[in-house]
Amino acid sequence: MITFGTPAFLLAGALAALVPLALHLIRRRPPARAPLPTERFLAPNPRTSVRVSRPTDPLLLALRMLLLFLAGAAFARPAWLPDARGASEIVLLDRGAAMASGDGALQAVAVARQRLLGADGEPRGELVLFDTAAVRVPRRRVSPALFDSLAAAPAFASPARYAAALRAIPGAARELRGADSVRVTLVTRPRWSGWSDGIAPLRRAVWPGAIDLVAVTEAGGVDSAITDTVAAAKQALYLADPRDRATQYPAAALGAVGWTVTVVAPGQPLPPAGAGLIVIGSPLPSEMAREVVVRAERGATLLVDAGAISSIDPLPWAKAARTDSVAGAIWFDDGLQLSGAAARVLGGRSRGAAVIAAWDDGQPAAVARRMGRGCVVVVGTALGRGEMVMEGTYPRALGRLARGCESTETAGADAPLDAGARAVRRGAGPAMAAARAVTAPGGGTALGRWVMAAALLVAAAETFFAYRRNRPA
Amino acid sequence: MTASTSFLPPGLLEHLGGLEVIAKTVVRGFQAGIHRSPLRGAGEDFAKHRDYQQGDDVRYLDWKLYARTDRLYVREFEERSNLQAYLVVDASASMGYAGEGGIAKLRYAGYVAAALAHLMIGAGDAVGLAAFGAEPRLLLGPRARKGHLHDLLLGLERLEAGGPGGVADVLDRVGVAMRRGGRAIIVSDLLEDDGGAALVAAAGRLRARGDEVIVMRVLTPEESGEAAPDAGLFYDPEHPSRQVPATPRQDPGYARRVAAYYDSLADRLRQRGVEYVPLTTAQPVEQALVAWVNRRRG
Repeated sequence: MITFGTPAFLLAGALAALVPLALHLIRRRPPARAPLPTERFLAPNPRTSVRVSRPTDPLLLALRMLLLFLAGAAFARPAWLPDARGASEIVLLDRGAAMASGDGALQAVAVARQRLLGADGEPRGELVLFDTAAVRVPRRRVSPALFDSLAAAPAFASPARYAAALRAIPGAARELRGADSVRVTLVTRPRWSGWSDGIAPLRRAVWPGAIDLVAVTEAGGVDSAITDTVAAAKQALYLADPRDRATQYPAAALGAVGWTVTVVAPGQPLPPAGAGLIVIGSPLPSEMAREVVVRAERGATLLVDAGAISSIDPLPWAKAARTDSVAGAIWFDDGLQLSGAAARVLGGRSRGAAVIAAWDDGQPAAVARRMGRGCVVVVGTALGRGEMVMEGTYPRALGRLARGCESTETAGADAPLDAGARAVRRGAGPAMAAARAVTAPGGGTALGRWVMAAALLVAAAETFFAYRRNRPA
Repeated sequence: MTASTSFLPPGLLEHLGGLEVIAKTVVRGFQAGIHRSPLRGAGEDFAKHRDYQQGDDVRYLDWKLYARTDRLYVREFEERSNLQAYLVVDASASMGYAGEGGIAKLRYAGYVAAALAHLMIGAGDAVGLAAFGAEPRLLLGPRARKGHLHDLLLGLERLEAGGPGGVADVLDRVGVAMRRGGRAIIVSDLLEDDGGAALVAAAGRLRARGDEVIVMRVLTPEESGEAAPDAGLFYDPEHPSRQVPATPRQDPGYARRVAAYYDSLADRLRQRGVEYVPLTTAQPVEQALVAWVNRRRG
């Protein structure tokens, strides 16, 4: 498939090719010399220049039109893209220092191999190796031997910079524009902190679709699917008015992800200890509040709804709570998205807390912090209100909140989930982007120089024929 | 293709069958022919009675008239004689002009001359060939034998257009070479530098000798103005250095000036008893000749 980096020049060349034709037809030229024995009877008419109604020298005219068209085509940066129908892959493989621990590097290479090599060993896309800088491996060089050499290569010492990987996406994508669709996969050991805020606009600029994040865990496992794995039913207490509909949705959602929920109205005696999760859905009497804090220090996880923030002290939630009717979507640290929140309570994480979910604008939506042997999680919105209770991801979002400090510890409990990280992880577009949507120009085998060479040949031919035509007999 | 089939194709011969180009003048020939002779003799056409004189052949005495008038008269008959003719073909450069997609005037003149030669030799006339172009030339003397037609056709075939022309010189030579009372047929475009004055004078001199002079003017439709060409930088092939930018098709005066030139020339020729026959190359030769011969018969 031939593609053009700047198709406007192709159009310009086509239009320019019409110029010689128009000039040829518009211009008036002296009449041809012709014999006429009765010339003596002619009345001299100096204004005998005639408009050319048909090309007098079709060969020269065609050569000139072809010359201009080829020149335009050469400037249009033509390129030949190999036929690659179906889905193609771009794998951004982290080769930074963070991958060196454990067998993370091997696991990452295995993931990349699985994504890029088909069953027949044929490459399906391009590989981008990055640490502080990115190196693009063209599809023609992607082979089992390459992955073998990567697996055997020593770990890098430099920290990975995701910006370098992101910048390599357009170059790789434009090589794959012959495909129907392209998927970008980032294989890394995710850092949840230290991301540059500038990555957010960069990520939006380089790729219109989502970036599939395959996280290589410390233990060497691969957590590519965002799933809530609940080994066995767990006990949960839901401290809220059981008659309130806002109570029923979270209770049901927790039940859907494996929790056995018991709803207890505020002021009622708490069941004996044993519940691993205590959801505080409404303000509690002080006695009951002290009781749940004691249970948290003994190992339970407190999940505090926005409506009950004032009940528990201390909370990992700073500043005075202020309700904002513009809520939007909540992005969780594992990539989960939950939209349709009714409202949000503005605030920030307190010292030592980790942000496990954020709003679109980067403000914390949920924070977590250790409390004794347990954990306390504060959510900046009402869990049972708004349209989010109808979202398919709602139960999984509650499941993530119920896990409390679990994942923040592996990523560094005191690290924020900053805007850059969310930008990369957020699925801002379709998982598979249409190859034609790749706006990056160029790519493929550049044909511009050959087209220009053809234009020069045509110019030489035009010169030759023009000389022959005008040569005196 | 031989010269005879080239200039006298069967189609043309078929149309020419039965045509006779009778002289309008009295011809003093040496052989029997189809033309009126000044001599009285053993012809078939009764001329007049005259008084019998001693020595007259008694076979021609008109006995019936003697019975009525009691005087002796002899009947005299017109003799029929052949004539000498010259076909004078214009081979000047202008005769090479063919117009757009048409036949060259020289070629057309060749057809006309060949057809006339065929007719005249068939009638027993002696036909010669002269041409003028680069120079005046008497190519073939007049002969009446049938085989001479082939020589004439070869001579026509070899003619090539070139030179400025000038018909007067060759007519004077024809006048010298041809017996009095002959016929000169000029096939030309008559585009003379002097407006035809020399032609008229030379033709007048031939007429004064008693010769019949026929001028056949050949033009293309482009020249006559019937299909005048579009804009161009035109030049006369006989004077190529002279060129005129013109738009004849848009100039109604062009055809008028051409017609005026030839009308004037025709008038002057007719005043001297010269027959003027305008022809155009768009007209088939056989049609033109049949129409002309029929007009002569009256």
